[in-house]
Amino acid sequence: MSTDGTSTGTSTSTSRRSLFKAALAGTAAALTGCERSTAFFGQQMGQSIPTTLTPTQSAEIDPDFHLLSRAGYGPWPGELAEVKKTGRDAWLEEQLHPERIDDSAANLRAEWFESLYMDAGNAWEFRKEVLRDELTRHAVLRAVYSKRQLFEAMVEFWGDHLNIDLEKTDCIYLRPSDDRDVIRAHALGKFRDLILASAKSPAMLTYLDGRDNKVTKKSPVPNENYARELMELHTMGVNGGYTQKDIYEAARCLSGWTVDLKMRMADALNPFKAQRGTTYFKKEWHDNDTKDVLGHAIAAGGGEKDLERVVDIVCAHPSTAKYISQKLCRRFISHEPPQSAVDKVAAEFTRTSGDIKSTLRVLFQSEEFANARGQLLKRPFRFIVSSLRAMAADVESSYVGRRDDPAGQAAQAIQSKPPRIALVSYLHPLGQPLFRHPTPDGYPDEETPWLGTLLWRWNFAFALGGGFVPDVKTQGPPLRKALGIRKDSTDKDKAAVLFAHCIGRKPAEAELTALQSVEDEADLLALILASPAFQRC
Amino acid sequence: MSSFTRRALLSKLAVAAAPAVEDAGRHTLIVVFLRGGADTMNLVVPYADDSYYKARPTIAIKAPTGDADKSRAVRLDDRYAFHPALRPLHEKFSEGRLAIVQAVGTDNTTGSHFECQDQMEHGDSMAASAAGGGWLGRYLRTRANTKLGPLSAVALGTALPESLRGAPVASVMQSLEEIAIRTPSGKPDAAAAVLAAMYGADVTMLGTQGRETLDLFKRVSALQEGGYKPANDAKYPKDSFGNGMREIARLIKAHVGLEVACIDVGGWDTHFFQGTTDSFQAERARVLAEGLAAFDADLKDQRGSFTVMVTTEFGRRIYENASLGTDHGRGFALMTLSNRIQGGRILGKWPCVVENESPAGPGGMQIQHDYRSVFAEVLRGSLGLDAAAASAVFPKCEFGKVGLVA
Repeated sequence: MSTDGTSTGTSTSTSRRSLFKAALAGTAAALTGCERSTAFFGQQMGQSIPTTLTPTQSAEIDPDFHLLSRAGYGPWPGELAEVKKTGRDAWLEEQLHPERIDDSAANLRAEWFESLYMDAGNAWEFRKEVLRDELTRHAVLRAVYSKRQLFEAMVEFWGDHLNIDLEKTDCIYLRPSDDRDVIRAHALGKFRDLILASAKSPAMLTYLDGRDNKVTKKSPVPNENYARELMELHTMGVNGGYTQKDIYEAARCLSGWTVDLKMRMADALNPFKAQRGTTYFKKEWHDNDTKDVLGHAIAAGGGEKDLERVVDIVCAHPSTAKYISQKLCRRFISHEPPQSAVDKVAAEFTRTSGDIKSTLRVLFQSEEFANARGQLLKRPFRFIVSSLRAMAADVESSYVGRRDDPAGQAAQAIQSKPPRIALVSYLHPLGQPLFRHPTPDGYPDEETPWLGTLLWRWNFAFALGGGFVPDVKTQGPPLRKALGIRKDSTDKDKAAVLFAHCIGRKPAEAELTALQSVEDEADLLALILASPAFQRC
Repeated sequence: MSSFTRRALLSKLAVAAAPAVEDAGRHTLIVVFLRGGADTMNLVVPYADDSYYKARPTIAIKAPTGDADKSRAVRLDDRYAFHPALRPLHEKFSEGRLAIVQAVGTDNTTGSHFECQDQMEHGDSMAASAAGGGWLGRYLRTRANTKLGPLSAVALGTALPESLRGAPVASVMQSLEEIAIRTPSGKPDAAAAVLAAMYGADVTMLGTQGRETLDLFKRVSALQEGGYKPANDAKYPKDSFGNGMREIARLIKAHVGLEVACIDVGGWDTHFFQGTTDSFQAERARVLAEGLAAFDADLKDQRGSFTVMVTTEFGRRIYENASLGTDHGRGFALMTLSNRIQGGRILGKWPCVVENESPAGPGGMQIQHDYRSVFAEVLRGSLGLDAAAASAVFPKCEFGKVGLVA
């Protein structure tokens, strides 16, 4: 059994399932006990709060804090000091090689989500609610607890870039294995390998109708949906220089690749031979004539090799370097990144033939990145995860079945305290329920789509600050102790030190004046998380 | 902080805050979804057709006689009459504010509740590939260049309906009381003051949005004080539909920028003992009619500000089955209540025209209007959807003329 989230080993998944079924013979109480020990071991493995924390005294966001906020999901208490010790470049280098980072604590928590370790074919054994639930919670837990922070940030980035909406037809059954075998397998690898894996992914073939792309005597016209998005969204960009003819020719090249969706008795009897949910090439659906994609002649008779040819052609196109670099800079530098940064990043992408590590190294070491502190509006997922990390929150992975509970919310509506709503339920009103963006362009990297939901951000901050989010334990007292807050500290000192801890800079005069009036410490922490400063990074 | 100082503080915030979402002339579309495939043939009864009575020897609704006999249908015109439980809506029809379209439906012939609801909420056709997200979500995205606030789209209930998926902003709530600042210590006013100071000092769009959100809290909180008293003695039934319609009325009156509201009435899957003027369907019809009537009475002075559209996923067979119910059919009658719709009319094909060819079997009402054409006209009448936007909301739809709007 693999405990490594980046590995793809599917051959062991069925044995894992048998094991799990055996374990189910145990009681619910046993599982709860198991979960408690996960949190305990998590703390043993460095997920606790150091005895002393020294927030920055700078009026500008600390550059180390900035890197941790952008290349990851914000510092876990103590992480800032670690970067200060090793240096930003060393931290970045370590993050670019996630396999060198021991991530046992996060892996231990992720072990809970058994549907994510399954072959696609076995995913049909799960109810849709469970699949949706586990995929979402897994993403949250990895982002909060993984020490491979840049890796997780890139998983989110590619997840948007190669968006698959869970709610379309069979995608919900196929997305978990896509997350593992496409996104996580190649998040920091070669761009071309990522796109190739995605092109053959059962989830992508389903989401963008590739599995129905057949060229036969009866239906001689290919389904262009995937070919179009491959060029428009995945590689070259909408004005990348391809024509309608190129899309058509590419679609012909891709015809014949499909997904086996048949339910077979043999699969049920022998899961080791399960075929359902696997991609295969059906040669009678393939257009085997000559084609011309972006000026590259493709000889007749290429068969299944045509797909790889198309992927190679579009990935190597100069527009692709520009388009991907533009997107990376928009995600990690600013919503409107300086052209100089995009050019630099694109040059490295081209030089290394799409080596994601090298490209990111240039991006995060650029002057433009360093100068863009506090300019990005955190998307909801980043907002929630960075809040949890700032507070060293202990999040349980096991609250399966406790789904959205707006009914409970309503029951408590007249009370003055925040209602108890499960953690991932906040992602929905905030507009980013994960894996559910309805169009193939992914959740947007802009400000306007996210600005209408401040109400729910504040509600989350209040609930988290007060410890009202079920299954999330915040660590107020040890955090305050580590920050040197004592009973006799002045309100002004408390406000200043907590603000600097969460935001990475000292509060400005207006911010300090507003916050020092807050007497209750839980309110204070919540209001810092609700502040405009914390909405940005 | 006492409630007096709380008000004082909130009025101070109001002065500080920029005006919230532009609300002048704002119109709200309320989509009521009858889940389970409503037998609209017993709601809008084709009493002039003998074949209706032949097909339904037990469960047909008796033709109107003109008096208030509760066992008889309520006359709408020479051909149609309302189920007696829909009597509260009769006046709206006579006033020319309620329109009915017969023979509406999807091209989905599976007879699956799930598939048909899904297709309808996504605004899709079986023939074309999925457009992505919900139809109301897409509508709101066509509006994305104009400002949407946190309460521009609201679903009353416990889950976001698929129709709103992909909306830039959509909230789910059961009650307006959920719109509140609730801090760990239970001191919301102090928290609001801190937020006002911090967002007030932020000169970016984020700061503006923060101030507008605080203004929203203020206006909603004014509504929350002392509970809600509907106008014109409107009496909302004490069921989830009545409660939901009451909350929608409050949101409209609060001028929070509500454009789209979604609400469900379930329980229309009447395979068994459907009943006539009592029993299951009659009870559902009463819930629907009383809730709508109370809402219309409550907003009597703002009748230009809303449009209600009542839809279901499919209608039922014309023939009653052996257990005195009706099985899944095809076409259904859609109702809409609005000052912006040409009401007082029943549009569309005579319902007893049966679709024999359909895999759904004999007895389903033949469909005349693709539901998307009807939805698009309702959007045009209510929220002023133009032709270009209609194609964005329902891509690849060849819109037919329905006649709800001029």
